[in-house]
Amino acid sequence: MAVPVNAAASSGAPVRRVSPRHFVRLKLRVMGNNFRGQGWRIALFVVGVLVGLWFAGTAFLLLAAPGLADNTEFAGLTAAFAGGLIVLGWLFLPLVFFGVDETLDPARFALLPLRRRTLVSGMFLAALIGVPAIATFLGTGGIVVSAALLGGAGAAAAQAVGIVAGLLLCVAVSRAVTSAFATLLRSRRVRDLAAVLLAVLAALLGPLQIAVMSAVNNADWQRLSGVARVIGWTPLAAPYTVGMDVVEGRAWAVPLKLAITAVTIAALLAWWSRSLESAMVGTAATGRVRPEAGLPGQPVARLFPRGTRWLSRDRYGALVARELRYWWRDTRRRASLITFAVVGIFVPVMANVGGKGLMDGQNDFDASPTLVGLSMLFVGMLAALSLANQFGFDGSAYAANVIAGVPGKVELRARLVAYSIYIVPLLVAISIVLGLFLREPAWIGVAAGTLFAAYGAGLAITLFVSVFGAYALPETSNPFAMNSGAGMARSLLSLLAMVGAGAAAMPMVIATALLGEVWFWLALPVGLAYGVGAAALGTYLAGDVLDRRMPELLQTVTPRR
Amino acid sequence: MTGEHPALALRGLAKRFDSKVAVAGVDLDVPTGSFYGLLGPNGAGKTTTLSMAVGLLRPDAGSARVLGHDVWADPVHAKQLLGVMPDGVRLFDRLTGAELLAYHGLLRGMDPTVVDQRAAELLDVLALGDAGRTLVVDYSAGMKKKIGLACALLHGPRLLVLDEPFEAVDPVSAALIRDILQRYVAGGGTVVFSSHVMEVVERLCSHVAILAAGTIKRVGTLDEVRGDRALEEVFVEVVGGRTATGEELAWLSR
Repeated sequence: MAVPVNAAASSGAPVRRVSPRHFVRLKLRVMGNNFRGQGWRIALFVVGVLVGLWFAGTAFLLLAAPGLADNTEFAGLTAAFAGGLIVLGWLFLPLVFFGVDETLDPARFALLPLRRRTLVSGMFLAALIGVPAIATFLGTGGIVVSAALLGGAGAAAAQAVGIVAGLLLCVAVSRAVTSAFATLLRSRRVRDLAAVLLAVLAALLGPLQIAVMSAVNNADWQRLSGVARVIGWTPLAAPYTVGMDVVEGRAWAVPLKLAITAVTIAALLAWWSRSLESAMVGTAATGRVRPEAGLPGQPVARLFPRGTRWLSRDRYGALVARELRYWWRDTRRRASLITFAVVGIFVPVMANVGGKGLMDGQNDFDASPTLVGLSMLFVGMLAALSLANQFGFDGSAYAANVIAGVPGKVELRARLVAYSIYIVPLLVAISIVLGLFLREPAWIGVAAGTLFAAYGAGLAITLFVSVFGAYALPETSNPFAMNSGAGMARSLLSLLAMVGAGAAAMPMVIATALLGEVWFWLALPVGLAYGVGAAALGTYLAGDVLDRRMPELLQTVTPRR
Repeated sequence: MTGEHPALALRGLAKRFDSKVAVAGVDLDVPTGSFYGLLGPNGAGKTTTLSMAVGLLRPDAGSARVLGHDVWADPVHAKQLLGVMPDGVRLFDRLTGAELLAYHGLLRGMDPTVVDQRAAELLDVLALGDAGRTLVVDYSAGMKKKIGLACALLHGPRLLVLDEPFEAVDPVSAALIRDILQRYVAGGGTVVFSSHVMEVVERLCSHVAILAAGTIKRVGTLDEVRGDRALEEVFVEVVGGRTATGEELAWLSR
């Protein structure tokens, strides 16, 4: 009764090639479906677009300015340095702040008969669709304007090719690095290596910044141009300096620099393609075989980590113990801890030491207690910000706490305490390291006091963000993955929380600026009391809200399938 | 007091997501001591109904009572009497089995020594003691169901609500879970579970409700619902499935 199927019809069915265009359409569709019926998501996305356009516009004007002012030398400088900064930004910002948009999760493609080449090029093209990429493209358009004004159509054409190549480079670098970093962190054994890797990468920023500082201080254009020329030949700024090469009569450099860029992009994509494969197949088995312990002990004793004898063996204690374990065992949380540790040490050291002009020994821009206070304000807020999506980390597992009916205040207090057990020692270390580095031990108190005040105020505000602004994280192994195309808008909410926390802790900095030596002694106790008070108040108020919103919160953090 | 109230009483439970009605008014009485099967095809609203019944999802309308305590108005008492194993919900799976049980026990306000004793016993009975320091995330599907069941049983609830307890479970683990549930009901407990596996329901349940498109289509004791036919026949008829004529999908045969 079945119609016989001849061989030609079954095997000869035309297999159409999958072009990267399909991935772009898929991504647009996924983004579009995300917005369906969610007015606030559209609003957040629009805000994200506006901010992106604002940044793009500013960058465009800054980069076009040398051309408008007809200053060839300065145009070369800005192209090289701005290009380098943009590429570095794409390298570090996804790691540190924003996460990477993983609307298209590579694991979903594992079963489809796609060649890896098709997959990589498709995912790559799809990654180009997004506010940051488009903003970068528009912003760097300013270099083309400069090149056109200074060198005519030829220079403009070369530079137009250059900014497209630059954009590809930026996206490739962010994809390859986050993907590789994620693979690294997934394995427990290399987590220390990962920390070192990030530290080294961050440290590379230091020398560069000091070099720039000293060059600016000396206003030695000759030397600065030399540096710019060198940077122009590295992948960092190669695509962004081709236009100026034409202007300055070095047209022969254009194909070379584009080749450098192309080779770099190819290498990055190859790297990405390798880690993509492990992200596709390696999610289920993490290969974590641990030796049986000789003496397991009773279940309750095993839940509590070593060194927590002081914790009561009850609901609160269990919550703290579970959170303590999770900050270390959950790759996403571990990634955010490690990143904060690195950023928390490097940012203040660079902000203050770079200002001191270590390189040439000139002290025309002194570090001051006020400047230290400001950088501490930033670090303290950054520390608190890791909790902004604390329920999102749990995902649907949070259902256990809802079923058990944990009171909101107990829940939040336990989470703060567990996180602070990791963070407070770090904060103390940061203030001591900074004080010793600046050779001003007397400032340690001010630094620590401001840190605690900013951290406490930040926690108070972050708790509300975590209850109201929670969102589901995708269930992938990539600790940097964000879910929807609205990732940028989420970051905006975090930035808003930071501004609020900064305002709340600002009195500490003002006191540092106004009061004299007395404050060196008062800052620590006052800051500590302020921070603890703010955190306690936040727990109290947000706990009430959480009590009423537990099922709704569970809904928002449960990934939709 | 447990004599006069049904173990679980749902009245007019309703929920819509955006424009889609998931559950359109469910009334259900689960008698104390019964083994209750909630049957339905995929997407019928089983998980949504059970989530609203145990306090995980706020209903748009209606109420749920556990042994007389309103789940949404008096959650503390209701939740004490209730043990839940949700489906598709992750456990705190970066803990080991023993750690997870200890966490659930303490979260329920139990005494640590009682937690230790019961957790050890449960791990032993469910054959999870060998897993040692393996994290729950690395467990097999059957082991995950078993540890989920252990978490739900730990505090000795009077009513056990299980969403798809036999989904993706191997026959050995399924037999073990069945055995434990039967002992629990024999000891005076009440079990409500959802499933679309007819044999399991026919073998275990005293009562059955068939849910389709967000409403209850048939309800009663197992014999009342199936009459003298096979349960599967009744189910397919009620749900309105279609039978293949053999003309379509012809290209599948060669």
